[in-house]
Amino acid sequence: MKKIFNVLLGVVTSIGGFVEAGSISTAAQGGTEFGFALLWAIAVATIILAMLAEMAGRIAAVGKRSMAAAVRERFGFHYQMIPLGAELIIDLLLLAAEIGGVAMAVKLLTGVGFQWWLLPIGLLVWLVIWLGNFTIIEDGVGLLGMVTLAFVVAVWQLGPEPKVVAAGFIPSLPGHDLTRYAFLTVSIVGATVSPYLLNFYSSGAIEEKWTEPDLWINRLTSYLGMGFGSIVSMGVLVTAAVVLGPLHIRVDSYEQAALMFVPVFGRWGVTLFACGLGVGCFGAAIEITLNAGYVLAQSFGWTWGVDKARRDAARFCAAFTTVLLLSLVIGLLGFDPLQMTLISVALTVVIMPLIVLPFLVLMNDEQYVKQHKSGSIGNGLLAALTILGALMALVVIPLEIFGG
Amino acid sequence: MDVVHDVLDQQIVDRNGREMGRVDGILLEERPNEPPRLAAVLIGASALGFRVNPILGRWVHGIEYGVGIGEERPIRIDFSHVDEIGEKVKVDVTVGESRAETLERTLRDWLLKIPGSR
Repeated sequence: MKKIFNVLLGVVTSIGGFVEAGSISTAAQGGTEFGFALLWAIAVATIILAMLAEMAGRIAAVGKRSMAAAVRERFGFHYQMIPLGAELIIDLLLLAAEIGGVAMAVKLLTGVGFQWWLLPIGLLVWLVIWLGNFTIIEDGVGLLGMVTLAFVVAVWQLGPEPKVVAAGFIPSLPGHDLTRYAFLTVSIVGATVSPYLLNFYSSGAIEEKWTEPDLWINRLTSYLGMGFGSIVSMGVLVTAAVVLGPLHIRVDSYEQAALMFVPVFGRWGVTLFACGLGVGCFGAAIEITLNAGYVLAQSFGWTWGVDKARRDAARFCAAFTTVLLLSLVIGLLGFDPLQMTLISVALTVVIMPLIVLPFLVLMNDEQYVKQHKSGSIGNGLLAALTILGALMALVVIPLEIFGG
Repeated sequence: MDVVHDVLDQQIVDRNGREMGRVDGILLEERPNEPPRLAAVLIGASALGFRVNPILGRWVHGIEYGVGIGEERPIRIDFSHVDEIGEKVKVDVTVGESRAETLERTLRDWLLKIPGSR
C-alpha cells in the first residue's frame, strides 16, 4: 500500500515539477509561431526523457551509483571531465535562467523590476535546500507545482478542435520559416531532456535507498510521471497556439507569454500565469542547484546527500552554494532571462551525445546493472536520436543566431 | 587486477566506511629487472590535474597552496594500507589520520557558523 502511495506521489510530483523556464518558453514560442505542429517534438522528447530517466533510476537501484559516479568509474577522469564540464556550464546558465524566470514571475505580480528579485530568490532557493530534506524538497516542489495544471485547464476551457490538435503529433514540415521550425524543435528537445533531471533522478533514487525490488516503482514513476508531466508542456503549446497564434507575433518576453491566459482566466490570467511560471522555475532552480552539488561531490568522491547532516557533507554544501552564487552573478550581469533560457536549452542538445552515449554503454555493463540490461532497440533508438539531435542543433543554432 | 580499470577513479572509503575521495592518481615504483610495483594511491585535485596535463597539475597545486592545503596534497596512501578492492577501495586508515579532511574540516567550521546548520 505504501509502495503504491509512493508511486502515486512520484507521478504527481513529476507532473508538478515538469514545466520550468525552458519548457514554458519553448512551448509558448512553438505554439505561437507554428500552431499545433510542434506537439510531436514534445512527445518524442518526452519518450527520450522517460527512457533515460528509467535507466538513471535503474543504475541507481541496481548498481548503487549515480550517473556521474558510474561514468567516472567506467570511463575514467579523462573522458568524464568533458561531459562534467559541459553539464556544469549548462547547469549554471540554466540556473540563472530559472532564477530569472522566478524573478520575472514576481515582476508580473508586483510590477517591480526583475533584477531586484534575483538575490532574494537565490537566498530562498538556498534556504530551502539548507533547511529541507529530500522528501520535503521533492514532494514540496511537486505539490506546489500543481498550479501549473492551469495550462491544462486553459486548453480545456479553450476547447480547440481535437482532430486539429491530434494532427500536431504527426511530424510535418511547415510552409514557412523552416530554419525557425528546426530551431524550435531542437529547443523543445533540449528543454525537455535536461541532463540535470537525469542525474537528479538517479541521485534521488540513491537518497531514497532504492533497491532491485523497487525497479517496478522506477519504471512506473519515470514513464507515467514524465508522460503525464508532458501534458502540462503540451498545454502551454496548445494555449499559446489558440490564443497567441492568431496575433502573428513572436513571443520575445515573458510579459507577452503571460497574455495567453487572459482570454481564459480574465483578470486573474496574468496572476495565474505568473504563479505557474514562478513555481515551475523555483522548483527547477532548487533541483539544478542540488544537482550541481551532487555531480561535483559524486565525481570527486565526497560525502553527499541533502539528507545527511550538513556538517558531514561540508564540501557538498560548499559546492552547491558556490554554483548558486556563480549563477546569481551571471543573472546580475543583466542577460534577458528568456534569451538565457533559449541559449541553454539549445546548447543542451549539442552536448547530449556526450552524456547519453557513455550512459548507454553503462546500461549494458553487468558490473553496473547486473542482469537488468537495456534492450538493443531502445539503445539504438536513443543513440540515433541524440546524435541526430546534436547534428541538427549544430546546423540550426548558427543559422538562428546569424539569421539564415 | 587491472590497475587502471579496477583501482583508478574508484571511490575510496576509510576504515569506518567514510568517503575519502576517489583514486585520483597512482604512484608506481620502478624496480630494476622487475615489473613496476604499485606503491601508493593518490587523492587530490592536483593528482587529477597532473593526469590531464602537467601544466594544469602545477596550476591546481598552486591553488591548493593558495588555500593552505598545498603541503599535504596530493594525499598519499601507501598501497600496504589498501585492504580491499571491490566496488570501492577500502583502506585501513581513517579520514582524520590521512589529512584527507583538512578542506572538509575548514569548510565545516564555516558552515557551522550559519544558522540552521545541522
